Amino acid sequence: MQVKELLKNLSESAGVAGFEHGLHSSLRAAWEPLVHEMSTDVLGNFVAKRRGVGEEPRPSVMLAAHMDEVGMMVTKIDERGYIRFTQVGGIDPRILPGMEVTVHGRRQLAGIIGTKPPHLLSAGEEDKAPKMEELFIDVGLAQERLVDVVEIGDVITFQRDVTELANDFLAGKSFDDRAGVAVIHSCLQWLEKLCITADVYAVATVQEEIGLKGATVSTYGLEPDIGIAIDVCHGDGPGQPEDLVSELGKGPVITMGPNIAPRVYELLEQAAKDAGIEVQVDVAPAQTGTDAWAMQISRHGVPTGLVSVPLRYMHTSVETLHLDDVEKAGKLLAFFIAAVNRGFVEGLVWS
Amino acid sequence: MKDLVKKLVESYGPAGDEGPVRQMIEEEIKELADEVRVDALGNLIARKKGNGKGKKVMLAAHMDEIGIIVTSIDDKGFLRFAPVGGWSPPTLLGKRVIFANGTSGVIHTEHLDDIKELKVTKLFIDIGASDKATASENVGIGDMAVFYGPLFDMGERWVAKAMDDRIGCVVLIETLRQLGACDHDVYFVFTVQEEVGLRGARTAAYGVDPEIGIACDVTRVGDTPKSHIMEVSLGGGAAIKVKDSSLICHPALRKHLVEIAKENKIPYQLEVLERGGTDAAAMQLSRAGIIAGVISVPCRYIHSPSEMVDAGDVKACVDLLVQSLKGSMVLQ
Repeated sequence: MQVKELLKNLSESAGVAGFEHGLHSSLRAAWEPLVHEMSTDVLGNFVAKRRGVGEEPRPSVMLAAHMDEVGMMVTKIDERGYIRFTQVGGIDPRILPGMEVTVHGRRQLAGIIGTKPPHLLSAGEEDKAPKMEELFIDVGLAQERLVDVVEIGDVITFQRDVTELANDFLAGKSFDDRAGVAVIHSCLQWLEKLCITADVYAVATVQEEIGLKGATVSTYGLEPDIGIAIDVCHGDGPGQPEDLVSELGKGPVITMGPNIAPRVYELLEQAAKDAGIEVQVDVAPAQTGTDAWAMQISRHGVPTGLVSVPLRYMHTSVETLHLDDVEKAGKLLAFFIAAVNRGFVEGLVWS
Repeated sequence: MKDLVKKLVESYGPAGDEGPVRQMIEEEIKELADEVRVDALGNLIARKKGNGKGKKVMLAAHMDEIGIIVTSIDDKGFLRFAPVGGWSPPTLLGKRVIFANGTSGVIHTEHLDDIKELKVTKLFIDIGASDKATASENVGIGDMAVFYGPLFDMGERWVAKAMDDRIGCVVLIETLRQLGACDHDVYFVFTVQEEVGLRGARTAAYGVDPEIGIACDVTRVGDTPKSHIMEVSLGGGAAIKVKDSSLICHPALRKHLVEIAKENKIPYQLEVLERGGTDAAAMQLSRAGIIAGVISVPCRYIHSPSEMVDAGDVKACVDLLVQSLKGSMVLQ
């Protein structure tokens, strides 16, 4: 399967944090030809294993990209049939009025988030964004019919198909972090063409958006020698702080800082040269906000790295990326894994 | 059951100093369990052995309550303090507190021009001492105190401090009492330090290593005048949690609990709590992950000296736990 096709397929599927099981079948179909084993764990992490060549014990590399997306959850159905909701993960309420959504009840319902027309705003309201608790979803059903379909705790996703912009730019929901899952897919395709001694665990993790939970338990279970998180980072654009963003279409981003084992970073740099890929560099002074943060402190510690795809408009329904960055990140990871051998893993001291 | 509630809520047990509550609970359960032990943090772990056909299940309710800890004593014998657990300063003003040794005190504030300036740093405790030396005979730096106050028995509704989460402890004790023989290996864990970060549940879950973890704790309600939006109401039955700010409960376990409630005609309601966390979050992330869920007792005025629960809701929680454990616990 093409990387773009999988990314589009995943982006248009629903998988709010805690409710990612709907994505398993797409992953199983896409990765079945590329790996030797597939399984899911208690929390719903999707784990695929590709065995390396040579005798055991082989070094192991865990790739983690989270498949959960930010979304919403029903908190109340009022007497007129409007649905009140809360967020699951970080959602900016300013982007919600006018949004089309899908309510995942007993069956899927199309809904919209309505708002007061500008004509009816009172003084002082015009320059204020409504708070989430003031917003509501209208699905067109009266309360007595609605309660047969929807109950407290049902999840709600943005309704948004992928838009192909000019020049291989794509816009859609949940590229954070299904772009990372697509990177792993690209990597697995490249691994077919290379001689790999390491075992690779390709993990689509769950519940990253609500506290790196999937990575916490899956890293404990897999106990890898090296952990690499693949996530998105902030892309450039008007009004963005220049020192905190990376350019779209200029290659994947590799991160350094306390969350990153220096030797892993160096090998990623070397792998980029070997693969002929330009990379951008990011410095994270503390918490990277990614699965790498949880992986690093699993059991007695895991040397970690972080590879990111620049993304504009994060946590909106029009997250935008450049397809090249996704594909190059996959190639970079494959060349990194090709360079991992027993000697490298044994020399992984922090310095 | 009411006597047990009264005894537990009126006892002293802030996070990190749960000893008196632990002893009381141990007395209640030692004849009912097959094994009882206390771990390094002070969690009380009672095991009721299964027959080898069932699952390993951990139930958790926290013994600790919110409190205060003394940080300094001034020359006139007034105590300054820091919160242990989540307090809002207005709740503290004018309240009576009691220390482990029985010393009582009242909380008041420095003069404020505006009530909005009320912060914990402006508050002090007066224990009736005339100077530092007298105060120090009764209280030292690092001593903790909790709200003082007897249980109000309003008939079907009960009000007291520390319903959060002694009422959960009562639910576990009653469940152990009523359970009888069951397939599952069940660990009834009375945890410590929940109020300061779910810390007891973390080590207990690591030690017990269960397949399924269920916490029993209180939850907020949305049925008081002009309250925040929330569907749970007092007297509406056992609340089966979907989500709070600490975790999303395992959907299959949540659905299983709903099915058990429906089959046994136990009143229940679904809960989405926007602020607050439970021991289930710590259990869920133990080792390579655990199936975790929560049965909540609806409670008004949480983290005040007047936490209110409904006797019918408490009974519904016990019934739901007992019926769940009597079943197969096979999750779809």
